[in-house]
Amino acid sequence: MKRLMLVTEFKNLWREKLVFALLLTTSVLALVAFLNAHYFAKKQHDVVLAAQQMQQQAIQDAKARLPERLASTADYKWWEDPYDLRGQAFYLMQNYATKAPLATSPIATGQADVLPYYFKMLIKEKQHIVHQYDYVHPLSLLLGQFDLSFVIVYLLPLLIIGICFNALASERQGGQLRLQMLQGGSATRLLTYQLLLRSALIVLPFLSISSLLLVTIREQLGVIELLSYNLIALCYSGFWIALTAWVNSRAKSAANNAATLVTCWLALVIVVPALVNTSIALLDPTPSRIHYIDSLRAASDDAQKASEKTLAQYFQDHPELAKNGSGASDYATKKIATINSVERAMEAQDVRFLTAQQAQQHNAQKLQYLSPALIAQTLLVDLAGNGLARHHAFMAEVEAHHQALQRFFASEIAKANQKGDFAPCEGCSAKPTLTDLADIPQFNSDFATPVNNYTPLIWLLLLAAGLLVIAKRRVNKLDSANNKEVLVV
Amino acid sequence: MFQTTLKKEWLDTKRQGQALWLGGIAILLLLLACLTGFKSHQSYQQAVTEVSQSEQLRWLNQGEKGPHSAAHYGIYVVKPTTPLAALDAGLQAYQGNVLRLEAHIRNDSMFRSAQDSLPMSRFGSLSPAFVLQVLLPLLIILIGYPLLAREREQGTLKQLLASGASPAKLFIAKCALLFVISCLFLLPVALFLLYSQVTNAEPHTLRSGLFLLFYLVYLLLWSLLTTTLSSLLPTARRALVALLTIWAFTTLLLPKLAMNIATTIHPQGSGQAFQAKLESEVYTEARVEAIAQFKQQTLTQYGVGNVEDLPFDYAGAQLQFGEQYADKIFDRLFSARLAQLEAQSQSYQLAGMLTPFIAIQTLSMATAASDFTHQQAFENAAEQHRRMMQEVLNFNQRDHGHKADGHYTAGEELWQQIPKFAFQYPNFVRYLPHYVISLFSLSFWLIALVLLSFFAIKKLRLEEQR
Repeated sequence: MKRLMLVTEFKNLWREKLVFALLLTTSVLALVAFLNAHYFAKKQHDVVLAAQQMQQQAIQDAKARLPERLASTADYKWWEDPYDLRGQAFYLMQNYATKAPLATSPIATGQADVLPYYFKMLIKEKQHIVHQYDYVHPLSLLLGQFDLSFVIVYLLPLLIIGICFNALASERQGGQLRLQMLQGGSATRLLTYQLLLRSALIVLPFLSISSLLLVTIREQLGVIELLSYNLIALCYSGFWIALTAWVNSRAKSAANNAATLVTCWLALVIVVPALVNTSIALLDPTPSRIHYIDSLRAASDDAQKASEKTLAQYFQDHPELAKNGSGASDYATKKIATINSVERAMEAQDVRFLTAQQAQQHNAQKLQYLSPALIAQTLLVDLAGNGLARHHAFMAEVEAHHQALQRFFASEIAKANQKGDFAPCEGCSAKPTLTDLADIPQFNSDFATPVNNYTPLIWLLLLAAGLLVIAKRRVNKLDSANNKEVLVV
Repeated sequence: MFQTTLKKEWLDTKRQGQALWLGGIAILLLLLACLTGFKSHQSYQQAVTEVSQSEQLRWLNQGEKGPHSAAHYGIYVVKPTTPLAALDAGLQAYQGNVLRLEAHIRNDSMFRSAQDSLPMSRFGSLSPAFVLQVLLPLLIILIGYPLLAREREQGTLKQLLASGASPAKLFIAKCALLFVISCLFLLPVALFLLYSQVTNAEPHTLRSGLFLLFYLVYLLLWSLLTTTLSSLLPTARRALVALLTIWAFTTLLLPKLAMNIATTIHPQGSGQAFQAKLESEVYTEARVEAIAQFKQQTLTQYGVGNVEDLPFDYAGAQLQFGEQYADKIFDRLFSARLAQLEAQSQSYQLAGMLTPFIAIQTLSMATAASDFTHQQAFENAAEQHRRMMQEVLNFNQRDHGHKADGHYTAGEELWQQIPKFAFQYPNFVRYLPHYVISLFSLSFWLIALVLLSFFAIKKLRLEEQR
């Protein structure tokens, strides 16, 4: 009987030309979504690579031209001289902090197109560095990338609804259900086979093709990442299959099922996420970046106006740089002290942004349980390494690198100043004070990425199980009612 | 006919209850969206006013310093919005709204608020434009799919036609009913526009009128499409499935795909490559040579052998020459980048022939002045202001620098010569050429659907004769 039911269902789908159409649709979706997101990740990877190459090239070029510079007696302007610490620090340095996309990146682009993934480091206020961004068409950011997560979160449920909304209902309306019951079948079994077979035609080809592409094209993809991807997609699809089973078990017409399922999809995938986003922004609004500019400007003005006081404070904090100092210091040390002062003054503002974002993140973690789409999207974005957790780890590393660069230049400039290298004689050029650019601290790209938390998946599974239990009870009732009817007949 | 149909459909709707619930939820969402949109627009506009004023004061009170130091000190300008941005914030979160105007550099706008948002925000937030563009068509579908198909299924359609009801009148009445119901959802929007017209010092009458008109056309399109498919397809179920498929394709899938294709066809280099190019093209040997040539020309022109003998401060003249030299390179590189981005915009608009969503989205953002074209208008105006600032400051250095004993400094009198940057969006008519494709696609959809409606009415006539 089981086999007969499956074969009949498959034949019905084949007759409606749905098998081929579904296989084709899901395959094309998997292919296009993967390639599009892969192309995007590759572009970012190329930019990271180019930045690292430029950095290495600058080191090599400086090494090659060093003998010429040492031998020369020409007049060099310090801001144009690559061998001058001050020139490198404030204008010429080719030093990049980069976040390369992970092998899992095509799964979900997430915020990767919005958040900065490379910074050109210079000795200037951190606030002027960390707000750099890639200038792309803002419309492409608004619309987002067509990636695997978009297909999984938005389109797979629609396809599942599209093919499963009339399961059982069409047999009941057409009278075939009664015939099958006469032959010893049951509505529960029929619904189970119908839903499993139909959804398998959508989910399995999609997952097989996308997994195959991930493994073959994204070479460094690990087994655990691949399994996690499949697990998230299966749990999310499982929820939608369970919801379809629950709606179908209510024994309403196919049109009614379709309307109910579409309303559920609309609510869970479109409306609830939009409402959650709006609530999060209203509960913990991000401070205004326009006012932030105002504060930054005021802090810079204050630091400039009190530059001598700022410098004194700086030497108080860094006494190692002040030794042998007579009090009158050079432009570069003053500038670094001013930068330091501005950064300190802006700390409270930066904390306000961080606190607001942390509060938003906290609320998002709680409110994501309102929509399976939010759970799936969050998990997929984190798995792809394009979520906030990895970005925060990157930004922490950028900050550490910024501090390391500042310490390096402050210390080297102070040493050169004490030795009189910037003004060896009246009217002559400064001596080369940075002969090997490789001495400049380099960014550590292997920053630790936080481990993903898959607990929300349990909620998805619980929801799906709950819906299936209710659906089973209802269809069982339908079975017993039909059995009575069959006996009467 | 219209009144009878209205009564009948109202009774049907009341009986089912589903449409009433959906309509209620939609109107609540729209009101909530209008409220949050208005609030965020107000706080943004307040921040713009406050920070612009404080920047102007900072500029005027910067104290005595050399004009070139003031040029480096620069000024920050903030992009204003129109009241319509409360209804459609468009790309505001995805493009920088602040620009730093300073010497030697043409900066990109900074601080995109999307960078401070959670990844979850990519699902979209509840804005009036989102409700009108995405949710309202769905509501039209859910209310309208059974209008004629169910009549057919229940056999009442034949009875109606046999009793002498005109197929055209019946179709128009059903479609008009759907359109009128959907227009009710535009009421809060219309009221907001009216309010902003009355309370605003600079009313955007043309923009507001067009905003409303475009949405009326968009709602008419969905009403026509829904009624037509309900009339053409044999069952309500098929009509619903077909309409939902069209909705999902046109509002979710196609816009995303269209933009992804547009960026692939017209690729743009990375920001890092652009900055590297900018630096490598401005600060070159050619620039050093050009400056040397300029110096020589100036000396020859005034018949002197040394810059100290010139009747003005050569440093100021050279600074201005350097600015103009760099400006030409900025113009070339920024224009090339803009051309590529414009090509992406045009390609995306072209995809409006496949989905009316793209057309309405483009036109809605355009009238609200929250799209890329209006951002460019702001950035161009800011760049012109930057150049004017540099010219005033450099010429002041040129004309007065040599008169000072030692280092020349200027004061508030000079800072006041630079007017406050007060950007206002030009009349919308000037922007129309940018949106020709979207206007054409919206008209194309309207004509195509009207023709399809004629076809549906013709089929209804055949049904009557059968």
